[in-house]
Amino acid sequence: MKQQTGGLTATNLTRRGLLTLGGLGLAGVTIGSWPRLTGSDIPGRHADGLTIAILGNSADAEGRRGLAEEFHREFPEIKIHIQAIQGADWKDFFAKILTMVAAGNPPDIVYVATEGAQLFADKLAEPLDHFIRRDAEELREYFDDVHPSLVEAYMYQGSLFQLPIDWNAADMYLNTSTLQEAGMDRPADDWTQDDFTEMLRAMKKSQGPGFTPFYWTNRLFGGIVPWLYNNDTSFLTERKAPGGDWLWDGFYPDDPARSTRGGGFIWDGSNALDERVFESFDYMRELVAEGLGVRPEGGGGTSLVGLFSSGRVGATPAGGYWAQGLHEAGMAEDGFDVQFFPKNRTQRHQFGTAGYAIMRTTENKDAAWEWVKFAARRESMEMAMPSPTTTPTRRSMVNESFYAQTGPKNWQVFYETLDRFPTSAPIPAPPEQAAVENALIKNVTNAVSGSSRQTRSALASLDRDLNLVLRSGR
Amino acid sequence: MSDTTTDPVGSRATGAPDARTRRIPASRSKPKKNLFAGVLLAPTLIGMGIFTIVPIIGSLVLAFFRWDIISRPEFVGLANFADIALDPTVRVSFLNTIVFVVIAVTLQLGIALVLASMIQERLPDWLRVFFRSTFFFPLVLSAASVSIFMGYLFNEQFGVVNWLIGLVGLAPVPWLTTPAGAAAVVIIVYVWQNFGFSFLLFVGGLGNIPKEVYEAAELDGASGFKKFINVTMPLLSPTTLVASVMAVITALQVFDQPYVLTRGGPGDSTRSAVMVVFESAFEQLEFGRASAIGLVLMLLIMAVTYVQFQLSRRFVFYQ
Repeated sequence: MKQQTGGLTATNLTRRGLLTLGGLGLAGVTIGSWPRLTGSDIPGRHADGLTIAILGNSADAEGRRGLAEEFHREFPEIKIHIQAIQGADWKDFFAKILTMVAAGNPPDIVYVATEGAQLFADKLAEPLDHFIRRDAEELREYFDDVHPSLVEAYMYQGSLFQLPIDWNAADMYLNTSTLQEAGMDRPADDWTQDDFTEMLRAMKKSQGPGFTPFYWTNRLFGGIVPWLYNNDTSFLTERKAPGGDWLWDGFYPDDPARSTRGGGFIWDGSNALDERVFESFDYMRELVAEGLGVRPEGGGGTSLVGLFSSGRVGATPAGGYWAQGLHEAGMAEDGFDVQFFPKNRTQRHQFGTAGYAIMRTTENKDAAWEWVKFAARRESMEMAMPSPTTTPTRRSMVNESFYAQTGPKNWQVFYETLDRFPTSAPIPAPPEQAAVENALIKNVTNAVSGSSRQTRSALASLDRDLNLVLRSGR
Repeated sequence: MSDTTTDPVGSRATGAPDARTRRIPASRSKPKKNLFAGVLLAPTLIGMGIFTIVPIIGSLVLAFFRWDIISRPEFVGLANFADIALDPTVRVSFLNTIVFVVIAVTLQLGIALVLASMIQERLPDWLRVFFRSTFFFPLVLSAASVSIFMGYLFNEQFGVVNWLIGLVGLAPVPWLTTPAGAAAVVIIVYVWQNFGFSFLLFVGGLGNIPKEVYEAAELDGASGFKKFINVTMPLLSPTTLVASVMAVITALQVFDQPYVLTRGGPGDSTRSAVMVVFESAFEQLEFGRASAIGLVLMLLIMAVTYVQFQLSRRFVFYQ
């Protein structure tokens, strides 16, 4: 006879006992996962110190840990939490930051690129003017080392919102072996758009099928905008806000382009129907029609590194960040070179830059400013950028040793882009940048894929879309 | 004197009822049962309340406001609805979505039905299991990952698809950079990834059709095709209804494939209704407008589903 012991066994487990066990189990799981359920395991949440949001993954956050530790050694009372937020692009990253703001959990500092500079300045970021005026002597060395065009990209309505840390211009990368096989040398610094077309024709002639002379992507950086800039136009109207003299007179009195500097760019209208815009689009359409360039594809161009390094692409616009990318893809340092964008009406270039913005909502703005200053020091930037994965904003860091392992031979082009073409401008990015970028991207492919008539029709569509976006945003 | 004191049976003499004959009055057992059911249902109901009902109500309310997350919401009445009615991008996206649903769902159900019928016929069990797994497999993959991968395959210059086309001497197709090509790729990728679910439903439905019905049809001289039309299709109609309702609801919410593959382009040619909701909310920071578009889409889904069920009264046969 089976002895009842009073304990719970598989055979005598009652429904009530089962429910009790289940309840206990559920309670255990809930208690165990409480940090996850409440989000308190998210780095920086409900913690003391500064939370710094960057675009990237956990490896990127880990990469900046040394910088955070160095900061903590100097400012032991300020804790730093690097929060990496993944995103397909800057637009995606900014959308996630805004969601954090809406959720009542904004970071204290955000690494913001040109694409989001005016969005943050308009709605989220703290102007740095009073901090800069206060610590002017300490910062003089920084401004002496950084080109004013990069600083101007972060001016908004007369105030400065960020100190740029890294940047990239849309220069032209060239596959040197393809050039040689086409019987050509590296083009001259002042080469023209016609020279560019001839180079592509020669490349196409010398290569077999499966080769594309010019590859470009459908996005702001490296897309249609550099071709608009070198035609002295843009798809948006461009002017400068008043103000900013305190900065230019204080730090850049000898800037040759001083008279052109103002209180930041204003892009508040469509310029899509400008005849020069049509000219640039039509030129790209002709390249596509002649088989010299591809129809631009969406995306960030990750696959482009592979195509270029394997010799299937002859030329493409990219920034200094490509040096490390091509090196990692197995390209020898003399396998590629870089040159300025070809000249049309002008040789004005497009660039993008990035730096830390202090959120208005942060409770410790002084501590946040210490981080911004710290990150802009040369030794901090060297720690953050040990290899040319991007171009440092400090001129002194863009040197022979920085490109020694990767190339290109003419690395001086990267910084000289700003020196030689001081009217070069940032990516056109008003506070409504996301919608503006959508409007541009959505019409570019149509504009360069058919007849001239289709180009006009696509530009009319772009004009309509931009007007809708910019009107609703005001 | 009470009955309990006079009851000769031991347990009842003390007033304690016999456990085996204990009867709990209905009025007492129902609340207990309801409480038990309530406890079991509570997690789901709470989850639905927090993550489904509250957001729906919030979205309904938000549709009458202008809100950019950061500023205070501003009541604008029906302005968001007037705005989307006049916006050509919204109109095109809804039209794209409807065309997409018609083509994609037709293909999805057609391919699923044909393949389910094929593997139902004269195939060893292990091969059936193999095909079921193979056809269902794409459904468990991330739509974003699949779309990125497919983007490489359909690249005009360097994609494998055009390489294969080139092998037979044809010119490369501009898959992702022309409106027709991009729409075709989105449909191909979507159908490839989703037909497995309809396929499994049809396999189950076909398995439930009694063999005797086929035998009777054969005795009446019905051929394979006639059996399919006159026996299989009518008896499979309940399954077809479920599969089509689910396929239509899912397809009306298509987002991942066009977003990753084409970002809605070229032009607006592959922009879907949900993409416009996403862009309005998370890129243009117009949450009120996004809610209004979402509300219209919800009404469209409800209307289409209602029509499907109304039509089912005519075409669905239950055994």
